[in-house]
Amino acid sequence: MSNLNIDAAKANTFDVIVIGSGISGGWAAKEFTEKGFKTLVLERGRDVQHIKDYPTTNKFPYEFEHLGEPALAIKKENPIVSRCYAFKEDAMHFMVKDKEHPYIQEKPFDWIRGYQVGGKSLLWARQTQRWSDFDFEGPARDDFAVDWPIRYKDIAPWYSYVEKFAGIAGHRDGLAELPDGEFLPGFPLNAAEDYFKGVIKNKYPARHVISARCAHLSKPNQIHLDQGRAKCQNRILCQRGCPFGGYFSSNASTLPWAAKTGNLTLRPFSVVESVIYDDAKGKVTGVRVADTNTKEVTEYYARIVFINAGALNTNLILLNSKSKRFPRGLGNDSGVLGKYVAFHNYSARINAEYDGLKQYATDGRNPAGGGYIPRFRNLLKQEMNFKRGYAAGIYGSRYMERDRSGIGGSLKDNLLHGKLSPWIIGSHMMGETIPKESNFVSLSVSEKDAWGVPLLNISVAYDENDALMKADYIGQMTEMFTEAGFKNITPNVSSQSPGLDIHEMGGARMGRDPKTSVLNEWNQLHTCPNVFVTDGACMTSTSTQNPSLTYMAFTARSVDYAVKAMNRGEI
Amino acid sequence: MERRLVIKQVLIMAGGLALLPSCLREQGKSTILLKNMDISLDQENLMADIAETIIPRTNTPGAKQLKLHLFALKMVDDCYEKADQELFVKGLTAFQDQAQDLFSKSFGKLSLHQRESMLAKLENSTSPEQSGFYKIMKEKTIDGFLNSKYVMTNLIIYELVPGRYNGYFPVKTA
Repeated sequence: MSNLNIDAAKANTFDVIVIGSGISGGWAAKEFTEKGFKTLVLERGRDVQHIKDYPTTNKFPYEFEHLGEPALAIKKENPIVSRCYAFKEDAMHFMVKDKEHPYIQEKPFDWIRGYQVGGKSLLWARQTQRWSDFDFEGPARDDFAVDWPIRYKDIAPWYSYVEKFAGIAGHRDGLAELPDGEFLPGFPLNAAEDYFKGVIKNKYPARHVISARCAHLSKPNQIHLDQGRAKCQNRILCQRGCPFGGYFSSNASTLPWAAKTGNLTLRPFSVVESVIYDDAKGKVTGVRVADTNTKEVTEYYARIVFINAGALNTNLILLNSKSKRFPRGLGNDSGVLGKYVAFHNYSARINAEYDGLKQYATDGRNPAGGGYIPRFRNLLKQEMNFKRGYAAGIYGSRYMERDRSGIGGSLKDNLLHGKLSPWIIGSHMMGETIPKESNFVSLSVSEKDAWGVPLLNISVAYDENDALMKADYIGQMTEMFTEAGFKNITPNVSSQSPGLDIHEMGGARMGRDPKTSVLNEWNQLHTCPNVFVTDGACMTSTSTQNPSLTYMAFTARSVDYAVKAMNRGEI
Repeated sequence: MERRLVIKQVLIMAGGLALLPSCLREQGKSTILLKNMDISLDQENLMADIAETIIPRTNTPGAKQLKLHLFALKMVDDCYEKADQELFVKGLTAFQDQAQDLFSKSFGKLSLHQRESMLAKLENSTSPEQSGFYKIMKEKTIDGFLNSKYVMTNLIIYELVPGRYNGYFPVKTA
């Protein structure tokens, strides 16, 4: 019997356990397996293998049951996820249905999740911008949260490292606030976007319109071909999974790469209930996993655990990992864990029309989606009645107007022979929100999920700063659009809840002081050195950039540090 | 008997969408499987005639041939509130009766001119039943047409794999 136990323990022992297979977990898997470490990746959802498990990827619009629109019964059963723009018939199988994993909204919060191998890396918007010191120095300069324990120079080489492998298309714009990276050729702006760029350059020298940078293989290098990926084909059906591997996802890139080393064990249907802290050894020895199908609980062991469960679920796991040493959750001596959650404010858009440049339209599709305006408010110094600022997307397009009036042959003729609309200009805001103690997640004391894990309470809301910033965005975009001669300028202020931005961050923030932060400068728990968190939970502040690229860079940097620390015998 | 077997085995293509035939094909019932609504074969045929009047066969296929009425029916059955579905059926029934009252003929037996004039009236109708029914019927017929396999592969080509982007594509300004 004891032999059996020893054998079972051996079979369940790895060098490293990575919880989660999304964008950061995939990177942890790649880095560790490449360096020769036997790595177990735990994924709570089902397996999704590249190409093979993209059932809708080659479907034409008419092949969907309702032209893509989910049936009313599905929408009614899923009010939360239905609010997400990507919840359509082509990708809804990659998104968590409301009933599959309930949570408690102390304040309205749309928690959008993708429980499968690859997680939300299959679905992400693929926008990738580096942070700069204007971002890392934000909390210290503007007196909120805590100071980031790192600066741009610490992460810059790791941005380069992950960009080369992932494949990032962009132009070298030479902006201090949005550092250039290791770019594949950038996608072009179109006629209307270029025109707007010119207007802004003349009238607002400190503001910039650039082509959006994105994780698409505009021109693959050998390293991308070696991953089995090919040039992006401008389909813009990315949320279905790409048969070309044209955009970066764990499924197309890091996970198959890790599997090729022979060091990867991927276990889908594995919910991590908690991380096991051994009071006698004074460190974490493994994780407790419930099989989502059988509910059988198994323990897995390793020298190091990386938690990449997705920002809020990472908080959930840490909070639920209680021991004698850590009665309030793993690494939570300070009581900070779960607090200072923040997100991006995406609650305003603006549209307009432009009557000029009618000699041009677009042909084909742009994977970058258009242009990007980096943050210009409060950039060099505090100058507004709100803290921080916003970046903005900017895109121009012309569509076919088809006259639907009347009936019969003339209607049919009108439908088949549309007329190009004027340029339609659109923009959306991506605002930084300020992490606060009052924006937090915690464990429900009474309610548990199907696997016995407490439900997550989410208590996150906008504040006055967000409202002021939003008004400024509308005001400034209106002014800039007016300068450009755009007409029918129509602000569209949404009352969407936090969460729908799908950029929830924090709760286990990085910092120098264990009394006010959970992780150190290496994304390592201050008080439990063999546990690392490199997903969104680690974020001390949010800035305005789309966060995934930064998670990738943090992960590769952390693994490098962890391996060196192991070799030194420190962990 | 053989015919029924064939129907069971073959999906009905509506626009390009594969629809399940109604399994136990009851006499006089709709030919496609509906989850919520109860539509008779007569009503289904009436929808086909209305759809064909909206988008007639010209030198390219019309609504009947593309089975756009079945697409419309499927959309109403799956994507609309119960109240809208009821209004739709009421409007459809009222329309059926109206043709009888006016011409003592079913809508399908009317001349093209008579059919068009009946629909023209609906275009401007203020009755909630009639306008509610017709608005959906027309909108879905047009959606089904523009997104049909025929149109997307022959007339307004949908490219699954463009492989290019040109932001300065020259077009005629007029």
